[in-house]
Amino acid sequence: MTEGQIVVEGLTKQYKQLRAVDDLSFTVEGGRVTGFLGPNGAGKTTTLRMLLNLVTPTAGTATIGGHRYADLSDPLRTVGAILEASSAHRARTGRNHLRVICEVAGLPARRADEVLELVGLTPAAKRKFKGYSLGMRQRLGIAAALLGNPRVLVLDEPANGLDPEGIRWMRDLLRGLAAQGRTILVSSHLLSEMEQLADDVVIIASGQLVVQGPLDQVLTSMSSGAQVRVRTPEPAKLAAALAELGASVSPSSDGAMLVAGVEAPAVGAAALRAGVELHELVAEKADLEDVFLQLTQGRAAIR
Amino acid sequence: MIRLVHAELLKIRTTKTWWIFGICLFVFTALAATFWLFLANDTINSVASGGSFLPPTSDGGPPDGGPPAGGSHELDRALVFAAANIYTAGQYFGLLFVMVLGTLLVTNEYYHQTATATFLTTPRRTSVIGAKLITAMIAAAVFWLSTTAVSLTAGAIFFSAKGYDTQLGEWPVTRALLLNGLAYALWGVLGVGLGVLIRNQIGAVITGAASYIIGTQIVQGIVFAIGLVLHEDWIFKTLVAWPAVASNVMVSTEQVYPGSPAWWVGALVLVGHAVLFGTVGTAIMRRRDIA
Repeated sequence: MTEGQIVVEGLTKQYKQLRAVDDLSFTVEGGRVTGFLGPNGAGKTTTLRMLLNLVTPTAGTATIGGHRYADLSDPLRTVGAILEASSAHRARTGRNHLRVICEVAGLPARRADEVLELVGLTPAAKRKFKGYSLGMRQRLGIAAALLGNPRVLVLDEPANGLDPEGIRWMRDLLRGLAAQGRTILVSSHLLSEMEQLADDVVIIASGQLVVQGPLDQVLTSMSSGAQVRVRTPEPAKLAAALAELGASVSPSSDGAMLVAGVEAPAVGAAALRAGVELHELVAEKADLEDVFLQLTQGRAAIR
Repeated sequence: MIRLVHAELLKIRTTKTWWIFGICLFVFTALAATFWLFLANDTINSVASGGSFLPPTSDGGPPDGGPPAGGSHELDRALVFAAANIYTAGQYFGLLFVMVLGTLLVTNEYYHQTATATFLTTPRRTSVIGAKLITAMIAAAVFWLSTTAVSLTAGAIFFSAKGYDTQLGEWPVTRALLLNGLAYALWGVLGVGLGVLIRNQIGAVITGAASYIIGTQIVQGIVFAIGLVLHEDWIFKTLVAWPAVASNVMVSTEQVYPGSPAWWVGALVLVGHAVLFGTVGTAIMRRRDIA
């Protein structure tokens, strides 16, 4: 087991009426960004809170580097977390908020200034939390998570409230931290963002695991129904050539053809043999959004 | 643990709450001390000129059970009673403020959604609540010292102006002064416990203040009514079970109400309440989900 590995085993949370998390198991590896995805109400936040000992599981375990969060001797130096409801006292300044955490964790107060610098909040360090914008609050949360220079980061919807520049900044920051060998587990419902950021994905729905694995692999495995988009001035001639290969052809709304049943190289070869001119040839891989919707279809309902 | 207490104190210091409370308490203490000074002035003047000191103990004699004493003994009792009242002036509001401060130490975490950060930093819940209990007692001690400084100064000036001793050498007075400090600390603990039981900030503060101010009146009314109807004197004694009454009993040199028990009963009752609130609060905090 690597030092920063997160292992979730048989994790279950039963509320009075609702089984929020249902026998969930997955692992998260170090040095990679793992996207934790699921529809609203799938149990993502509950799972992360159980991992961090904020919510007591009904059954199962969640460990970080082999230890339960509650058993970590120095939690902030091991795990940094930003949860959706991360907040601060409205009347306390951002810097003082971090100083309180430093005090508890036995970190020097200058760490507060260092992480403020790191997240670009130095100009607002002495302003009260109530005057912070949503994006500034998220940055303060990230600053707090980085205080102990932890090797594991757990982030719940960190992109919420960030502007495009902030989202790019966050992406670069997380990629950089993963490149240093840290474990990054980040939940989100912004799928296009995740597609750019994540190496691995864990997708859950209704509290149960749907799929987990490297992003590419998950996308490929779900791309069986993928199509090839092709554009030509002689569609009828190409369609005839493709029909011989057993491919099915349908026109797309913008005048191109969508070919199913054969790979892009075969389409290109068929066009060459038939002497047909091509203007466009694209293998359309399913994107994360398609895969996600396909996998969680019918399970996103309000429970 | 020391780091946690430091952090809790830093939490108090980095918001304005503490000095708003401090200023209010200073004003209330000054007002209360003034009230007791005027009352003491009247009582002492009347006893010194031969009047009898009220209220008498239940059997009509002095607490030591000796024969009813003459004017000089009456004056001593009046002086001791006055001194204890003046030196513990402001207790009524002081205890309320300390309780509210203790409550805020907990409910602030929910109101400002900082509970998550707090328990992420310290997953050992017992330590967190323990630090809050200690912090509440430290803050209470600071409030007690400041109010006592105000009332001691006022009292000392008063007694020397009237040509009497400051009464600080009298054990019942010293005892009242010290027990007042204990009462402050214990009410801080009660406040923390209340904050755990009622997470809603406004709900907890209103419940605490209402129980303290209105609840005390209601409980007194009910107990006296039952006692009068049943003609049983022991029923009056049970009134001390109410924390606000217990705190009053433990700092008074005379009977707070007819049939009220000795000071140490009040002290024990209040310690009991604090232990109960502290234990229940810790037990709940250990199990509760932080959502």
